[in-house]
Amino acid sequence: MRLTIDRDRCEGYGLCADSAPELMHLDDDGELVLDHEDVPAPSSAAAETAVRVCPVAALRAD
Amino acid sequence: MTPTLTPHSDVDLFADPVLEDPYPTYRTLRDLGGAVHLARLDAWALTRYDAVRGALGDWQTFSSSAVALNEPVNEMLVGTVLAADPPEHDVLRSVLADRLGPRAVRSLQADIATRAEALVEEVVARGEFDAVTDLAAAFPFAVVFDLIGLPDDARPNMLRWADATFNVCGPMNDRTAGGLLVVQEMFEWVATLKAGDLLDGSMGRAIFEAAEAGRIRPESCIPLLAAYATAGMDTTINAIANAVHLFAQHPDQWDLVRADPALLPGAFNEVLRFDAPVQVFGRRTTRVVDVEGTEIPADSQVLLLYGSGNRDERHYADPDRFDVTRAPVDHLTFGYGTHGCAGQALARLEAHAVLGALAARVHRLHVGEPKRHLNNVLRGIESLQVHGVELDR
Repeated sequence: MRLTIDRDRCEGYGLCADSAPELMHLDDDGELVLDHEDVPAPSSAAAETAVRVCPVAALRAD
Repeated sequence: MTPTLTPHSDVDLFADPVLEDPYPTYRTLRDLGGAVHLARLDAWALTRYDAVRGALGDWQTFSSSAVALNEPVNEMLVGTVLAADPPEHDVLRSVLADRLGPRAVRSLQADIATRAEALVEEVVARGEFDAVTDLAAAFPFAVVFDLIGLPDDARPNMLRWADATFNVCGPMNDRTAGGLLVVQEMFEWVATLKAGDLLDGSMGRAIFEAAEAGRIRPESCIPLLAAYATAGMDTTINAIANAVHLFAQHPDQWDLVRADPALLPGAFNEVLRFDAPVQVFGRRTTRVVDVEGTEIPADSQVLLLYGSGNRDERHYADPDRFDVTRAPVDHLTFGYGTHGCAGQALARLEAHAVLGALAARVHRLHVGEPKRHLNNVLRGIESLQVHGVELDR
């Protein structure tokens, strides 16, 4: 599973980072940083939740 | 289309008794299907969580060109951020997001918290107050009015204008007809505004600056300004009012939040799930689409019933129970995707500030019966008398 951010849509709500802190975080400017674009298998459920809670559908997992 | 096979209903979703308590009606509709034809409106209600969420995530099929449930208002809304589809939408949205997004509103947090503490301190000291007019309405009104930078002569009218703006998004009933006159009055006033009328550095002024910089067309300024002013008030007001009401009704849930303030964001999401301030917005199908086995024709008016999807037992266990530990971050109240509420970071900031200030001081609120405020689109409370406050112990 691979995570991608649509930077034009992401407004930095950070709900994804709250759901999957092991995969992503907001930096000091409130920009989302993916720490693992390729999701380790044990974190795939967390990745799917992170995608699900994005208010603006800016995060994708394929 | 074979009517006997198509889920359908004759209910008037906008009749007073349904607006007073829409949830039994929603349940009946959900049990009929994920998409139900409403004979009175010749429109399709999406009733279940997955159906509403699916439509919100698919703007290509569910266009916002019919975000209101009547054509005259949809024609009025052409070119506004609420009714536009990408790519036009995205340009307008980016101007709002620059100032309303989480990155922008972070810097407001300390000031909003201070203002909330002061207001809560004052009403709690009185002991008796109206939780809506004195607290839930007073706070967002003051905060948002200043942030937009509107001139003072709008103050006496702004809430009436905002209420009407939501009413006219309903079907063409008496509430919509009455609201149209008020909305016209608002636009006549807003249309007189020039950049210099908005406070320097305000969100309202930034709209005019975006036009000067060529990011948006000059004719987009007034509709964006109106969107800010109306969308930022009644929504947050009703959310905070509903929260106070729910916590007064459910002291066990209030105790949980007071014992662990980290529960507050999740608890506010549960308030929003339980009683969504915006109950419905419309969409128009751009093609024939299958929703949970029901075929909706192209060019149909669709109703996204947020309030019903949020109570869908197929998605939330025991959905009519108010449970702050549920922390339902995926509720439909802010919409989702392209048109996901642009002001949700600010709304959360305001609500967390007010509820946090209450939780830090108040053990119990004793309230009377709420007086519901009926609006075609909004679910809220007109008045909720607090008869007594038990302070922290």
